[in-house]
Amino acid sequence: MIRITHLEKVYRTDEVETVALNKLTIEVKEGEFVAIMGPSGCGKSTLLNILGLLDDPDSGSFMFNGIEVAKFNERKRADLRKRNIGFVFQSFNLIDELTVFENVELPLIYTGVKAAERKKRVEAVLDKMQIMHRRNHYPQQLSGGQQQRVAVARAVVNNPKLILADEPTGNLDSSNGNEVMQLLTDLNEQGTTIIMVTHSEHDARYSHRIIRMLDGQTVLENIMV
Amino acid sequence: MVINFFKIAWRNLLRNKSFSFINISGLAIGMAAAILILLWIQHEVSYDNFHEKKDRLYQVWNRYTTEGETGCWNNTPKPMALAISQDYPEIERAVRVNFLPPVKIALGDKQFYGRGRIVDSSFLEVFTFPFVKGNAATALNDVSSIVLTEKLSQSIFGDEDPVGKILKLDNADNFKVSAVVKTPPANSQFEFEFLLSWSYMRMKGWDDTNWLNNSVATYVLLKKNSSLASIEPKIKTLRKKYDKDDPKIETFLYPMSRWHLYGSFENGKESGGRIEIVRLFGIIAAFILLIACINFMNLSTARSEKRAKEVGIRKVVGARKKSLVFQFLGESVLLAFVAGIFAFIIVELALPSFNKLVDKKLFIDFSNPPFWLAAFAFVVITGILAGSYPAAYLSSFRPVSVLKGSLKAVNALITPRKVLVIAQFSFAIILIIATIIVRQQIQKAQDRQAGYAKDNLVYHFTEGESAKNYTLIKNELLASGTAVSVTMTSAPVTEGWSNTWTLEWRGKDPKDRTVINRFCADDAVTKTLGLQLVAGRDFDLKSFPTDSNAALLNESAVKSMGFKEPLGQIIKDMGQDWHVVGVIKDFIINSPYHPLEPMFIAGANGWFNVIHIKLNGKNPTGKNIASLKSIFKKYNPEYEINYRFADEEYGKKFSGEKRTSTLATLFTLLTIVISCLGLFGLSSYMAENRIKEIGVRKVLGASVSNITILLSKDFLKLVLLSFVIAMPFAYWAMHAWLQNFPYRVSIQWWVFALAGLSAVFIALFTVSFQAIKAAIVNPVKSLRTE
Repeated sequence: MIRITHLEKVYRTDEVETVALNKLTIEVKEGEFVAIMGPSGCGKSTLLNILGLLDDPDSGSFMFNGIEVAKFNERKRADLRKRNIGFVFQSFNLIDELTVFENVELPLIYTGVKAAERKKRVEAVLDKMQIMHRRNHYPQQLSGGQQQRVAVARAVVNNPKLILADEPTGNLDSSNGNEVMQLLTDLNEQGTTIIMVTHSEHDARYSHRIIRMLDGQTVLENIMV
Repeated sequence: MVINFFKIAWRNLLRNKSFSFINISGLAIGMAAAILILLWIQHEVSYDNFHEKKDRLYQVWNRYTTEGETGCWNNTPKPMALAISQDYPEIERAVRVNFLPPVKIALGDKQFYGRGRIVDSSFLEVFTFPFVKGNAATALNDVSSIVLTEKLSQSIFGDEDPVGKILKLDNADNFKVSAVVKTPPANSQFEFEFLLSWSYMRMKGWDDTNWLNNSVATYVLLKKNSSLASIEPKIKTLRKKYDKDDPKIETFLYPMSRWHLYGSFENGKESGGRIEIVRLFGIIAAFILLIACINFMNLSTARSEKRAKEVGIRKVVGARKKSLVFQFLGESVLLAFVAGIFAFIIVELALPSFNKLVDKKLFIDFSNPPFWLAAFAFVVITGILAGSYPAAYLSSFRPVSVLKGSLKAVNALITPRKVLVIAQFSFAIILIIATIIVRQQIQKAQDRQAGYAKDNLVYHFTEGESAKNYTLIKNELLASGTAVSVTMTSAPVTEGWSNTWTLEWRGKDPKDRTVINRFCADDAVTKTLGLQLVAGRDFDLKSFPTDSNAALLNESAVKSMGFKEPLGQIIKDMGQDWHVVGVIKDFIINSPYHPLEPMFIAGANGWFNVIHIKLNGKNPTGKNIASLKSIFKKYNPEYEINYRFADEEYGKKFSGEKRTSTLATLFTLLTIVISCLGLFGLSSYMAENRIKEIGVRKVLGASVSNITILLSKDFLKLVLLSFVIAMPFAYWAMHAWLQNFPYRVSIQWWVFALAGLSAVFIALFTVSFQAIKAAIVNPVKSLRTE
């Protein structure tokens, strides 16, 4: 599903040049659950951003479902992103001015789904995430675990092929964290590819494979049994 | 999607109440000011727009060049109209209009006053004044026909049908009402209340074929297929054929569309006119609106950190830049719409006072579909203008950086927000400087010595029997102790009615074309008016019966005529010799903004229209006036007394500039209020964004004043920069404005200093409120919010 080859990304300021990704090569197959680990500054977030088509590499190749997307422009990336990729963030990133229902509905609006169909699909996914009773609440009225469930609901409502999770349990206590990890596992079992950046060895154990990074390169891959 | 946008816009509006309040109130005030000015502009540009044949209507003007100077005027000889309609087949009609002074109209015992015009009978066919009763074909056919406007008819007859009723004008002739027309709207040159037929001119012997007497207005209607270009070269030389005395005077046609807005000529060329004021106010309206929009831009972008997350999320879930731009523009249009509702409420509330201020009867025609269209367009354009920059700015955030929280307010050297604040304050400072200088100029003219004693001086036009019974009136006024001196004159002391360059005296250079004001007074003029004699004596008919052809000169006239010894000189004018018996100090008869002009005052053999009365200062004014009324009633029983105080009339000379000054003050205050609203909002966001910094600084020992100065300093720099930018613009604009006044103030440096200091003070006051508020917060609290 994803094949990146010799990917490079360098951040430059006036005085400092930071190599975030150094000729990185990774492959992720459809249906996999991959965890990316490594110390701060190793390039894992940069990698996730590029995988999520939020950022573009300086050089190298990025094949997504057999299409070269490394040189896509903003508009093409947005199109591809909204149809194929869902995001889960450490800090949930829900829109404070929108209700739970409206937050989850947002991706459907941008993919042009009709209102009636939107209602059906949002309700279905809220049900699945067991957050239906909170549909008319605003994010501030929810606990962290509930907010992250809403964020997961938003990520999956469009039935993306790929979910990118950036430390999804980072802001949660262990029981809420486990709940979210179980949700991701369930989704993976239903066929969604998941790539997750994490600092937690515990969370990483939910995945099939751990990619460990250092200084913009992979240093080790563990296959989980 | 649109519903979603409006939903979030509405919630944002409610959630951030102070932000919404500042934005909406600023925008509403700005829009209201702009709407008021636009209403006024609309009124000005729509003058005489209601005439159906307006595109074919022209007024006949004259142009004459002498000594390299070209003058233009629009009064024509009476035979002009006939000559034009005979000689030029392109002309469908030529119409004359003779202006009458306000005249008494009597219906039985009841008295009214009305402003009338004597017109050719086709006047009502050429111009569009719709008939309420009667018709254009017969309205002015008879010498004794009178056409009334609806308003005058209403005040004389009430709801009765006036047609066929008899009215007596000026105690002399009877007229039969033949028709009633709709009252001309306020935006018309034709401010008549009744019309008489031209045949009445002939009957009274007022008509003539004299080409020297330029005293009536002549209008022409071009035929449908004729063009101005084809007739222009031909009509130019019309006077060659008819005017034996001045064959060189050129004739030209001036289109109706330019009468009101232009109509001012300088050396033969159109030189602006009202259009300049219209443009100026248009610019002011645009600027005030722009300033209000700038507030919106500033506050919206200042809040960007709060909105950044939303932008990031929307982009991540698939929003394109275009849809975000659309969303933010939608929000600003919604806000503009709410502000627009408030603006129209403000306008409705302010209109009566504004009308008083500009001396107009402006109103909003809510029943008019184009109004709604214009209002809608106005709101949408304002919303788009205000939202354009924030939309472009907010929608360009990159999700990677905003969601990571790495978007930090950059303290760049020049940011668009700073530029906007500078633009606002530059404009405010320009307006402050302009207001001070306008006020100074008016004060200077007001402080100027008029050159005569205005106190206790009243005058009265000689209507009815008052001229005939003048001696009786005068004697009784003096005998009763009501007045201390009474003089009959050709014109009020506050208005120059006559001037000429045809005076003759020994030693006059034949090429001398100096225009000299002409004034007539029968007796004791320096005493009545309180003029100051420099040499010789006042008119004194009792002691010197030959004073009926005596004359006085003012100092400027003596200088201009070149007299070393003015007393005893003979001046020829109006076919008579006048001998100079005295010299007076100059006094202001025309504009207090102009240099003093030479003046020649002729004695009792001159012509007279006005009685000047110096009331007895020992009596209370009320008693004098009561006595004055009864004496006039006695000798002029048919007329209501119509006296005026010289000081009030003199004061009217300042009304135009006073209006300018009041308007300038008003718009300056509005600009300052709107700018301060913006600054207030901006500073509150700045303080909010720096809460952590302030906390850290306080923990490290900064005092409240340290923090206040820290937060205020940045804004102060912007205001100072605005001052530097505003200064040359203000100087240039006010220098140009002052050129309109030959008698004017010079621009002084302290005006700029004062404007700059006020701007700094106002800005500091606005900003320090937020700065102090932020500075006194306990650092434990502000650091905990992290």
